[in-house]
Amino acid sequence: MENNTTSNEYVRGTLKTIVLNLLAEHDRMYGYEITQEVKDRTGGAIALTFGALYPVLHKLEQDGLLLTESVEVDGRLRKYYSLTHRGNETARTKTDDLERFIDAVRLLLAPKKLATE
Amino acid sequence: MKRLQENRIDQISKYLQANKLDPELLPEILDHLACEAEESLWDGQAFEQIYQDMVKTADAQTLLNLSVDHQNLLAMEKSLNDIVFENRNKSYGAYDLRKGYGQTVQRAVVMGVAFFLLLVMFPKLYARLTPDPKPDDVAWLVEVNPVNIKMEEPPVPPAKEEPAPVQKTVKALTPEVLPDNEVEIEELPPVVEDLQNAQPSTATVDGAENIDVIAPPVENAPAPKAEVAGVETRRDETFTHVEQSPQYAGGNEAMSAFLRKNLKYPRPASQAGVQGKVFVQFTVGSDGKIENATALKGIGFGCDEEAVRVVKMMKDWMPGKQAGVPVRVRFTLPIAFQLD
Repeated sequence: MENNTTSNEYVRGTLKTIVLNLLAEHDRMYGYEITQEVKDRTGGAIALTFGALYPVLHKLEQDGLLLTESVEVDGRLRKYYSLTHRGNETARTKTDDLERFIDAVRLLLAPKKLATE
Repeated sequence: MKRLQENRIDQISKYLQANKLDPELLPEILDHLACEAEESLWDGQAFEQIYQDMVKTADAQTLLNLSVDHQNLLAMEKSLNDIVFENRNKSYGAYDLRKGYGQTVQRAVVMGVAFFLLLVMFPKLYARLTPDPKPDDVAWLVEVNPVNIKMEEPPVPPAKEEPAPVQKTVKALTPEVLPDNEVEIEELPPVVEDLQNAQPSTATVDGAENIDVIAPPVENAPAPKAEVAGVETRRDETFTHVEQSPQYAGGNEAMSAFLRKNLKYPRPASQAGVQGKVFVQFTVGSDGKIENATALKGIGFGCDEEAVRVVKMMKDWMPGKQAGVPVRVRFTLPIAFQLD
């Protein structure tokens, strides 16, 4: 549980980028699908809660980065998300930004390791 | 693949509604939880157990946080319009109009100002765009061919031959000396004294004086015209209309009395019961005699002949007159035959 909350702290800042990146790889996805995908890829290291995911999805939709499409499945409405043209561009720039940030963080963390070696 | 039964889904839905989850989020969260539950079912868990876990993870506080988070994230750009139109039909159109109002006004102002400026500045702009003509500008080129001009010789006016001034002269021939037989003796007209006692003649005769010669009047002297010029009447012509119509001597009453006295109703006509008018045409001569009496239009049965006979019996007509001169006039007289 301790581990989970710390990871959630980082996830909060990168969640938009993660969602956009995943949608860039797929035609369309629905909420549960996204959480499953994240869970599968990271081996359960990052678990998205619905409480965090859906507000972000709605926000992205409001910003015009996502298109939605409701389909009835098994007696309930399932909302599929896909990227708009602008969403595609944003996904690319955000991913680049995040990668640069991770590199920078790595640099910040690296010297200690180098020193120990 | 195991599916959740509808009543189970309803159960979850009711739970979410009871916790006052944002209706915008509800269908998705429902789907999400249902998916999770199905997966757990797949793993062989009982629904009751699954439901208990679900309620544990998605407890009232979590759901409330979710709703608040959602509200806060979306509300960042919320404007007055969003507050006004909260829980109202946004797709109706007024919301879009309100939302775009600022932009519309901005655009309108820019366009208006631009148009006004253009209107005001147009004359100056036009003047600037069309350069002033410089004095040495060439408007258009005209090719000029050299023209050979020949000096035309002025026509020499014909020299006026002015008659040389002539001096006043009087005919004065030098008398010619001729032999006697060739000299012409001029005959001068007789002077007044000679004519007092003699008549002019071709020759001078020494006759007796004081004989009274009465010359006859010249025959071709113009006779006074008896007739008025322009109204020339011909006696031989027969008129139909004249200035003064011919009349039976004694007037119309005398004529009708004459007719009544002399006309006899022909027997065949009275037997056949024929009656009507016979038009008798005749000519009244310049002397008042009846000529050429004929029935123009009759009724037959002897009436025509009877009418003509009586008319021929009439005498003593006053001839018609044209320009005061009695003339021949053609006259038509209707005579009525009437049975009593």
